[in-house]
Amino acid sequence: MSAQSLKKTTATWIIVIMTLFITAIIFGILMRLNQGNDYKMSSPGFYATMTTHGLTMIAIWSVAGMVAINYLLTRYIKVPNSLSVFALVFTVIGAAMLWYATFVGQFHAGWTFLYPLPLVKIAWAKWATPLFFFSLVVLGVGWLVWSVGLLVQILKKYSLKQAFAWQHLSKKEPEVKTPPLILISTVSLIGIILSLIVAVILLALTFAEYYSGGAFVNDSLLMKNLIYFFGHTIANESLYLGLAALYELMPEVSSRPKFKTTWYVALAWNCTMVFILTAFFHHLYMDFVQPLGLQMVGQLASYFASLPAAGVTAFSVFVLVFRNHIKWSLTNVLFFIGIMGWLIGGVGALIDATISNNVALHNTLWVPAHFHTYNAMGNVLFCLAFFYWVANEFSGSQTKTKAQQLKTALLLIGGFGFVLMFYLAGADSVPRRFSNYPAEFKSAPLMATLGAVFATIYLIAILLIFIEILRKCVKAFSAS
Amino acid sequence: MCKGLFSLLILFLFYTNVQAQSEYNFSEEENINAKIADVQLNTSDGGMMLSNLYNTSPILVALVFSRCTGICSPFLLQLSDNIRTLNSKEKFKVLVVSFDPIDSLSDLEDMDNRLGLNKKGQWTFATTKQIDALNSSVGFRPIWDSLRKQFDHDALLVGINENGYIAKKLTGLRGISDLKMMIQSIHNEFIPSYPLPRKNNLLSCFTYDPATGKRKPSIGLLILVLPVVLTFGLILWLAIRSKKWRRATNNHLAD
Ligand code: HEM
Repeated sequence: MSAQSLKKTTATWIIVIMTLFITAIIFGILMRLNQGNDYKMSSPGFYATMTTHGLTMIAIWSVAGMVAINYLLTRYIKVPNSLSVFALVFTVIGAAMLWYATFVGQFHAGWTFLYPLPLVKIAWAKWATPLFFFSLVVLGVGWLVWSVGLLVQILKKYSLKQAFAWQHLSKKEPEVKTPPLILISTVSLIGIILSLIVAVILLALTFAEYYSGGAFVNDSLLMKNLIYFFGHTIANESLYLGLAALYELMPEVSSRPKFKTTWYVALAWNCTMVFILTAFFHHLYMDFVQPLGLQMVGQLASYFASLPAAGVTAFSVFVLVFRNHIKWSLTNVLFFIGIMGWLIGGVGALIDATISNNVALHNTLWVPAHFHTYNAMGNVLFCLAFFYWVANEFSGSQTKTKAQQLKTALLLIGGFGFVLMFYLAGADSVPRRFSNYPAEFKSAPLMATLGAVFATIYLIAILLIFIEILRKCVKAFSAS
Repeated sequence: MCKGLFSLLILFLFYTNVQAQSEYNFSEEENINAKIADVQLNTSDGGMMLSNLYNTSPILVALVFSRCTGICSPFLLQLSDNIRTLNSKEKFKVLVVSFDPIDSLSDLEDMDNRLGLNKKGQWTFATTKQIDALNSSVGFRPIWDSLRKQFDHDALLVGINENGYIAKKLTGLRGISDLKMMIQSIHNEFIPSYPLPRKNNLLSCFTYDPATGKRKPSIGLLILVLPVVLTFGLILWLAIRSKKWRRATNNHLAD
């Protein structure tokens, strides 16, 4: 693949993702303002916005990680540009269909679409339901082809055992060394492929019910299991793609030796691959018909999937920065804050995934609190770090960022302030997914307003970073 | 080309006349968790706001009219029978409100005497001038039939908790187990509910035997394992195929 076309495709992806991101943040701020009674949205309008915001965010930050590894993998393997272009086209079409279904058709069942709600009683245009599901098909096809394509390319150079770094488990210095980028990409791609296959089955069952005219009805428990098998898995695997970029770039931009795959890194990521598959059961604690055994598996898998990978990554980053002279650029600052966000959000998630706590925290704002922490202050920052680094590559120099401290301060205050308001409200039992809070939740509107203020500060930081990235990305199109 | 395909898809979706299948009747879901209208009531104890009643204990509200030749009397009789049989230790009151504007308090008291409902003083009978507000707050829509000189209406029992929120609604003549659930609901107890497998539900996760109350894993659970099996199969297939690809690459390099 020509380096130039790779640059152009990557730059296009970055511009598309960042534009959608900024719009989706504005949707998020409007929702918080509505919850704070500072701005008036109709209820269907709120839920249509929430559905668009949720799915757009999940979609763009899943592909952002793919964009990063797609670019970085070219250091080790051949990657055909057509895969990325194919996924780009499908993502743009899928997103357009989704937005049409939600904003024109007023589809508003949330990003996990709350089966059987869209099928039994629709409070929106009739055509919006199939259009919403077809938008998922289009997005899914694009990403499935891309993920399988990348995995095939990895396997053209590394055997499956090598891609999983199993040789590192038995030997300290194996003949073939697996770079961490290959290991984490393989593990994450397999997870993404699995979650997309779950989505295929889920959508097939949904369409079967929709078009059967009542002859076939799905089982609610099965559908809920499938929805979270897909949703939880893809959200987590996307984050791991961001981490793959961190493993590859953070030492490099800090002028430190590259991270190596050791036995414990290999073991941790293999554990993550296995355990993440059953962690989603923690979304079904309130489903009393689900056997108790599966609920326990959900709790244990939540610990085993996250702790080893978090442990080795935090340890590696700590060793990298501790008492070392690091050249801090915006890239490694973003990676570093991202690790903090990922760990804080991860602890929030584990608190919620513990059955005894879930009884109190289930469906409260604690849930958006933890997933916004490891997304907005975790994965987003990993990917932004890559975007910033690659934009510098396009412009030919890793120059010092203008007003770096201001950007970092705005990001920290805005981002952590925004999620703190969710945590405080969640701890106070304020429910999630309420367009307006009942009078009983006295503190909820104030926390929503403050959340909106902090989110605006976060937005300003993102805009400043984007403007700088954009200026440099444009050079990818002009350079020959 | 892409644009054309996209428009075609939208057109297809517009014109596919699919009837989203309504399996469930949602009338009992309407206005759940909403507040009941706090109307002025006229009772044998004098005028009072509805909130004065639910502030002291949760209430069951039954909407009836005294001239009813249809369901009202059997409905109240069955409710009173069920309450007696259930003999619940929970504290609650029953409020019978007439939705017929021409009903007077004495019409309702006659009805009580005829049916023998209020032996323990648990029942309150009331009329209200704000019946439209009350009806709409609970999603109740009686229709006057001028030929029969009767209201066409459901038998509706509404469970209100101590904060005045509608916790549960029951339409029709219902058994003791439903009443028990309603009493639990108005005391803010969580009621687990789950649709039983039906004939057209081919992929349920469990089969349930109502006779023994036992459930067994069913084919639906296998569907959960299917993606793992398919992914495993795909990866295995790729791993086997990739041996050839690597060999080809190595040969190519050697050449
Ligand atoms: C500063 C930026 C952001 C703001 C202001 C924001 C705001 C919000 C708000 C107000 C909600 C509804 C919460 C509720 O009441 O349940 C929400 C939900 C959600 N957000 Fe964000 N968000 C932001 C960033 C993100 C990011 C980066 C992601 C990345 C994945 C994300 C994913 C989601 C998802 C998946 C939902 C759930 C939607 C649903 O329940 O259907 N958000 N967000």
